[in-house]
Amino acid sequence: MKAPPVSISVRDLTLRFPVYGVDAKSLKKHLVGVTVGGKLGRSHGATEVTALTNLNLELKPGDRLGLIGHNGSGKTTLLRALSGAYEPDEGEVEVHGRIAALLDLNLGIDPSATGLDNIRLRGRIAGLTSKEIESRLEEIAAFTGLGPFLAMPLKTYSAGMQARLAFAAATSVEADVLLMDEWIAVGDAEFQQLAHRRLLNLVERAGILVLASHEVDLLRLYCNKVMRLEGGIASPVTDIKKLDELLAA
Amino acid sequence: MEIATHMLRTGRRGATFEFAMALKDLRQSMRRIDLAWALARHDIVSRYRGSILGPFWITLSMGLMVLGIGVVYAQLFQMTLAAFIPHVALGIVFFGVIGGLINEGCDTFVQAGGMLSQTSLPMFTFVWRTVARNLLNLAHHLVIVVGVLIIYGFWKVANVPVALVGVALLIINASWASLLAGIASARFRDVPQIVTSVMQFAMFMTPVFWTADKFPSRHAVLQFNPFNHMLDAVRAPLLGKPLEPHAWLILAAMAVVGWGLTFTLFARTRRRIVHYL
Repeated sequence: MKAPPVSISVRDLTLRFPVYGVDAKSLKKHLVGVTVGGKLGRSHGATEVTALTNLNLELKPGDRLGLIGHNGSGKTTLLRALSGAYEPDEGEVEVHGRIAALLDLNLGIDPSATGLDNIRLRGRIAGLTSKEIESRLEEIAAFTGLGPFLAMPLKTYSAGMQARLAFAAATSVEADVLLMDEWIAVGDAEFQQLAHRRLLNLVERAGILVLASHEVDLLRLYCNKVMRLEGGIASPVTDIKKLDELLAA
Repeated sequence: MEIATHMLRTGRRGATFEFAMALKDLRQSMRRIDLAWALARHDIVSRYRGSILGPFWITLSMGLMVLGIGVVYAQLFQMTLAAFIPHVALGIVFFGVIGGLINEGCDTFVQAGGMLSQTSLPMFTFVWRTVARNLLNLAHHLVIVVGVLIIYGFWKVANVPVALVGVALLIINASWASLLAGIASARFRDVPQIVTSVMQFAMFMTPVFWTADKFPSRHAVLQFNPFNHMLDAVRAPLLGKPLEPHAWLILAAMAVVGWGLTFTLFARTRRRIVHYL
């Protein structure tokens, strides 16, 4: 059985966000002429933010796309749309391949449960059976490098330790499409190297990586393509070598 | 492996499409029903982590409540303990299932916000999580139910098969109310407070602590109280009493109408729920 190749295709994606429970009028006044964020409008009693407008994107195996842009330019929204959490208001998002999203460190995390239990929980959420998780537990545990701390409640972990755990658990699921927000930078140098190897490995297995970050160096390290978002409008996808031009634009 | 290898999300609208998507959500949640169980188990285990009795605190605290209320109210109502304690034990346990499902339903989507905003997990998974958690709670309470029925000799007259149908109808009905509470609470943050108040009010208006024979049987409090019908369908057969005529019919009708309306609401709001959170 040969599945279609891994791919992401986004066609004319427009995503509007209803924001409930804010006074749109006063908010509008505040936001007129602000450089960050999308456009505000109003419908059905909720303030509407247009987070992405007419976005097109085609990615094929081996693509590692970096997303840059201001805070609130729509990077995370795009990642969430790619993960299937947000539904388009217009257009289409189509993804072939198993998706792993590392957008929020706290996904399925129970602070009072141990590191190991949290790996199990994340594995279940990612779609593994408990048998599959047990068979991989050792490998995941080794990759986190947390050793005896895995038996400790997660609330005793530092942010970096949590990131290690989350990254190890999420990338152990053999995803084809990895969506990451910039927090990956929290690990220390040694972990960064491990993570780097694992990410490259993923891309070698004909996977796709989409990484949102402000860190130019990080993007150069991981990505071969880059796209800039501004107020929900995307630039064309360009080669990473032209990152400086894109930043200057 | 149950990972969606193809995901298509479109901006299509229209009632038919929204219904199809809601049904797809429901189907996918059924295919991954083990995830809902795993999450529910995790909820129970983590609630009692580090305690010596663990989840059996559920049993113990319920047992104490039954004992206390049973003794005091039996005196107040001039009833024998043998007649009153089984009544109140079944009342508290099974009204607890209804109340638990509806009250915790308020948190179904709010609590799952983190997961819903970065995965394509079916939304119904979290509805089943709430249901499964309450079923696990009920399993702990069954110790009390069985104990009371044995001690006071009702096991000889209890009609268990009929009671099980009643339990099923009770859960099916409380589940749609739970989903309804979940959607409403995600959108309007006043709803959980309203639901809590209403459920508390309902507990006193339903013959949980008192017996229905103190009322004329056609009284509105009994006749138009859905919780009374739900509770009675479980309690009467276990105490060896006949069911009210049409009890199953009323509950089945409630289930069909309730699920129909709630599912329609779910279909219409599904794409928005993640933005409510």
